[in-house]
Amino acid sequence: MAGKSGRTISATPEKTLKKALLSWEGMLLLLFIVINIFCKCISPVYTLTNVLREMPKYLTEIFLMFPMAYILLMGEIDISVGSTVCLAATVACLSSNAGVPFVGVILIALLTGTVCGMINGFLAVKFRELPTMIITLGTQIVFRGIAEIMLGDGGSISLTNADGFRAIAGKVGPVPYIFFLVIICAVIFTVIAEKRVFGRNLYAIGSNPKTAFYSGIKVNQMLFISYTVLGFFAGLSALFLTSATYAANTTTGKGFEMDAIAMAVFGGISTAGGKGKLVGGIISAFTITCLRVGLGQINMNPQVILIILGTLLICAVLLPNISQSISDKKKKASRA
Amino acid sequence: MEKKSLLKKITGSREASLVIVLILLCIAVTIKSPNFMSAQNILEILKNNAVIMIMALGMLCVLLIGGIDISITSTLAFAGMTIGMMYKYNKIESTLLGFLIATAMGAVCGLLIGVIIAYGKVMPIIATMGFMYIYRGFAYLVAQDQWAGADALGSFKDFTLSNSLSFGLINNTITVTIVCYIIFFIVLKWTKFGRSIYAVGSNAEAAEISGINVAAIKTAVYTIMGTLAGLCGALATSVYASAQPNMQTSKEMDVIAACVIGGVSMNGGRGSVIGALLGALVLSVISKALPLVGINAIAQNTIKGVIIVAVIILNVLTQRMMDKANLENREM
Amino acid sequence: MKKKVLSIILGVAMVATLLAGCGNEAKETGAAGNTDGPVYAFVSKSAGNPFNERQATGFEEAVADIGGKAIIQHPEAATADAQITVIQSLISQGVDSICVAANDENALQAALEEAAAAGIKVCSVDSTVNVASRLTHVNQAGVTEIGQCLMDAVYDLTGGEGQWAVLSATSQAANQNAWIESMKEIQAADSKYAKLELVEVAYGDDEPQKSTDQTQALLQNYPDLKVICAPTTVGIAAAAKVLQDQGSSVKLTGLGLPSEMAEYIGDDDAHSCPYMFLWNPIDLGRLGAYTSAALVSGDITGAAGETFTAGDMGEYEIVTAGDGGTEIILGAPFKFDPSNIEEWKEVY
Repeated sequence: MAGKSGRTISATPEKTLKKALLSWEGMLLLLFIVINIFCKCISPVYTLTNVLREMPKYLTEIFLMFPMAYILLMGEIDISVGSTVCLAATVACLSSNAGVPFVGVILIALLTGTVCGMINGFLAVKFRELPTMIITLGTQIVFRGIAEIMLGDGGSISLTNADGFRAIAGKVGPVPYIFFLVIICAVIFTVIAEKRVFGRNLYAIGSNPKTAFYSGIKVNQMLFISYTVLGFFAGLSALFLTSATYAANTTTGKGFEMDAIAMAVFGGISTAGGKGKLVGGIISAFTITCLRVGLGQINMNPQVILIILGTLLICAVLLPNISQSISDKKKKASRA
Repeated sequence: MEKKSLLKKITGSREASLVIVLILLCIAVTIKSPNFMSAQNILEILKNNAVIMIMALGMLCVLLIGGIDISITSTLAFAGMTIGMMYKYNKIESTLLGFLIATAMGAVCGLLIGVIIAYGKVMPIIATMGFMYIYRGFAYLVAQDQWAGADALGSFKDFTLSNSLSFGLINNTITVTIVCYIIFFIVLKWTKFGRSIYAVGSNAEAAEISGINVAAIKTAVYTIMGTLAGLCGALATSVYASAQPNMQTSKEMDVIAACVIGGVSMNGGRGSVIGALLGALVLSVISKALPLVGINAIAQNTIKGVIIVAVIILNVLTQRMMDKANLENREM
Repeated sequence: MKKKVLSIILGVAMVATLLAGCGNEAKETGAAGNTDGPVYAFVSKSAGNPFNERQATGFEEAVADIGGKAIIQHPEAATADAQITVIQSLISQGVDSICVAANDENALQAALEEAAAAGIKVCSVDSTVNVASRLTHVNQAGVTEIGQCLMDAVYDLTGGEGQWAVLSATSQAANQNAWIESMKEIQAADSKYAKLELVEVAYGDDEPQKSTDQTQALLQNYPDLKVICAPTTVGIAAAAKVLQDQGSSVKLTGLGLPSEMAEYIGDDDAHSCPYMFLWNPIDLGRLGAYTSAALVSGDITGAAGETFTAGDMGEYEIVTAGDGGTEIILGAPFKFDPSNIEEWKEVY
C-alpha cells in the first residue's frame, strides 16, 4: 500500500472515517441509536423526561465504571467496590443521623470510600503475587461485614434528616445534577486516558507490566492511585445512592461491581488489560442503561433482561473476535 | 540424609503449612466447643459442604489453565432446578436418571462456555460473567416462580440420606465427593491429559508447539467444570431436599477462595488436588465453626472474610519464605 | 484532529439520538393508554419465590374482578435497590397505584415519595414501608397475633418448660424481627411462660446451606433443646430436614409454605414438625388489590377508622398500626397440621 502513494492520499479521509465507523466505538454508537429507536417503539412512555428521571440510579454505577476502566486497563480488577459503596452509605447515614452537617457527611462518605480504596491498593501493591481478584474478594466480604456490624440488628438505617440528600438529588429542568457530574467525570477520565502520561502508562502496564516496570513506570504507585480513586468514587456513588433511598442497608450496592465491569467490557475494554477506549465504556454504559430503562417500562421479566444483557456481553467480545479471525484467514489465503 | 530431605519436604511444602492452619483452626474451635471433632460433626461438615468441595476440583482445573469460571453456581441452579421441576411434575422418577440429566445439562452448559472461550477467544471472566446471568435466568424461567420441595422430590432426596453406594459404609454424598477426588487425583497426576492441563497453564504457547491441542484442552476443562456443576446441582437438590432458582447464589466466590487458600495460582500452572481439598476444608470448618463458637450473628461474615484474607496472605508469606530459602540453598 | 472531530460527532450524535429517540414530550400525558380503567401495580419482594408468586396471582384475580389492568413486577433480586428501579419504571408508566412488598422498610422512601407526588396511590403489603412512604399497609396478621400464635405453639410443644430457640431469616428481615420481638415480650409478660428459656436467635440468611449449619449448631450447643421456632419459609424447611434426618426429638414449629413442608408435618416421631402457621398469600394479594382500588377510587384515604368492602372477602377496617401509621389486617394466621396439610399443599 505504501508504494501507491497517490491512491493512498486520496483514499485517506474516506478510509479513516470508514474505519472510525467500523471501530468498536462506532458500532456501539450505532447500537445506541438502534436501541433508543427500539425502546421508543416498544414503550410509549420512553420519553426524555422519563429516561432522565429513571437514570440517576444507573448513573451511580456509571460513576464507578470510569476508575474501574483504569484498573481493567492495567489488567487488574476490583470486585469489592459494591461493598465499599455499602460501607460508605452506612457511614454517611450514621454520621448524618448523629447530627454532622451535610458538608461533613459528604467528606466522611468520600473519606470512607477513599480509605477502602487505599486498603485495596495497599494490599494489591504489597502482595503483587496475589491476583487482585482474590484480594478484593476478601475485602468485599470484610467491607460489607463491617457495614453489617455498624448497621446492627435492624440491618437498615433511615435518615432522620434527608434535606442535604434531597438537595443533591435535585434537577436542572429535567436533568438531574448527577448527570452533569457524570459527564464532567467522563470528559476528565477520557482526557487523562487518551492525552496524559498517566493514561499512556495505564496502557503500557496493561500490555506488559514487566516492560512497563523496567521502562521506569511506577507500576505500584499507579495501582495504588487507581484503587484509591475507585474508592473515592465509590464514596461519591454512595452519596448519590443514598439520595435516592434516604437509607442504607446490608444489600446497598450489591452487584455494582459486576455492573460496572460489564459496562466497561461491553465498551471494548479488555479485562486482560491494555486494550479499549474509555469512550467505548461511556457509550456502552448509556446504551445498557437505555436498554434496561426501555425494557423495564414494558415490564419485561427482569430475569429475561439479565439473559439479554449476558448474551450481549458475550457477543460484544465474540463477534469482533470472529470477524478478526475471518479477516486473518482471508489475508493468509490472499498472501498464499 | 534421606530423613532430612523428607522432613524438609514436609515443612517446606505449601500443603503442609495448610494442614497446620487447618489443625490449629480445629483445635481453637474444639476448645470452645468440645464436640467439634466428633464423627457426626465431621460427617455433617463434609455433607453440607460437598457441593463446594466437588466444584473446587473443577475450579482447580480451570485455574490451572489460567482461566476462571464464575458461572458455576448458575449452571448448578439451572441443572438442579430443571430436575427438581421434572420430579415435581412427575416427568421422571428414577434417582439415577435425575443425576444423569443434571450432569449432562451441566456438561452441555460447560461445553458451550468452553467453545466460546477456546475457539471464540473470549476472556474467561467475561464469557462466564455473561453465562452467569444467562444460566441463572434460565433457572428462573424453568422454575416459573415455583420451588421443588421435599414432598415433590419423592425418593430423590433419599439418595443423600442412604449409604448405599459404599455398601453401608458412609453417606452417599461423601462417597461421591471421595470418588471425584480420587479420579481427579489420578487424572491430574498420572495421565497425559492431566499433564497437558498443567502444560497449558504454565505456558500455552510452548504447549501448543509441543503438540498439545490447547483449544481442545481448554474446552475439555470448562466442560468438566460444567459437568461437576451439574452433578452438584443434583446433589444440592437432594441434600437440601429443595430446588430454588436462587440456590447457591454467589457461592462461586467461595469455590474460588477455596482453591486460592489451597495454594492454587490464579495465573495458571500451579496447584494440586490436595491443595484444593485443604482449601475447601478450611472454608468448611470456618462456616461450621462460626455458629458453634457463639460469635454474634452479625459479625460472622466479617470474621469469615478476615480469616480468608489472613490465610491467603499467610500463604503468600510462606511462599516468599520458601523461595528465599530455595535461593539461599542454591547460592550455597 | 480527526479524532477530535470524531469525538465531537459522536457526542453530538449521542445527544441527538437521545433527544430524537426520547423526544416528543407532548405525548407524555396519558401515555400509559389506560382508557380501559385504572392500572394497578404490584411489586413483589423477588422473583422465583412461590409465596410471592401466589400473592401476585391473588392480586391479578382481584384486579380482574374489580376491572382494570394489573401490572405484576418481580424485581431481579431481593434488594431495595432492585425495587427502586422497578418503582421508577412504574412511575414512568403512569400507573394509578403501587402495592409493594418491601425488601427494606426505609430505603424505598425517596422512590415512593416521588410516586406519591406523581399522584400514584401507594400501599404496602406483607412487609411494610415506613409511615412517610405509604397511605396504608395490608398486614397478613397483627404482629402480636403472630407472636402469640407462635408462643402458644412453643408452649404447647415444650409442654410448658424447657429450652427453645429461634431460627430466623437474615438479621435485618423486618417482619421476622418484629415477630421475634413480640414473642420475647409475650414470654416476659406472662408468668405462664416463666419456665421457658429462649436460648438463642440464630440467622440462616434464608440459605439452605447456612440454615442447615445453624440448625446443627443449635442442636449441638444446646443438648436439652426442646423446640425450634423458625418464622421463615426457607429456614423452616431446612431445619425440618435436619431434624427429621437425624430423628431428633427436638420439635419444630414456625411459619412455612404447605407445599414445602408437607413431607415434614406429622404427629409421630418420624416427622419433625407437628404443626405450623401461615396465612393465605392469595388472599393477601387480593386484599392488596382491593385496597389499591379503594385508594384509587377515593373510597378510602388510608386514615384509621375508614372501612371498605373487599369484593367477596367482606368488609375491612383500617386501624392504627404499631409504627404510628395505619394498616388493614387480613386475619388470624392459619394453622397447618396433619389433618389439612394434604389439601393445602396443592394450593400453595
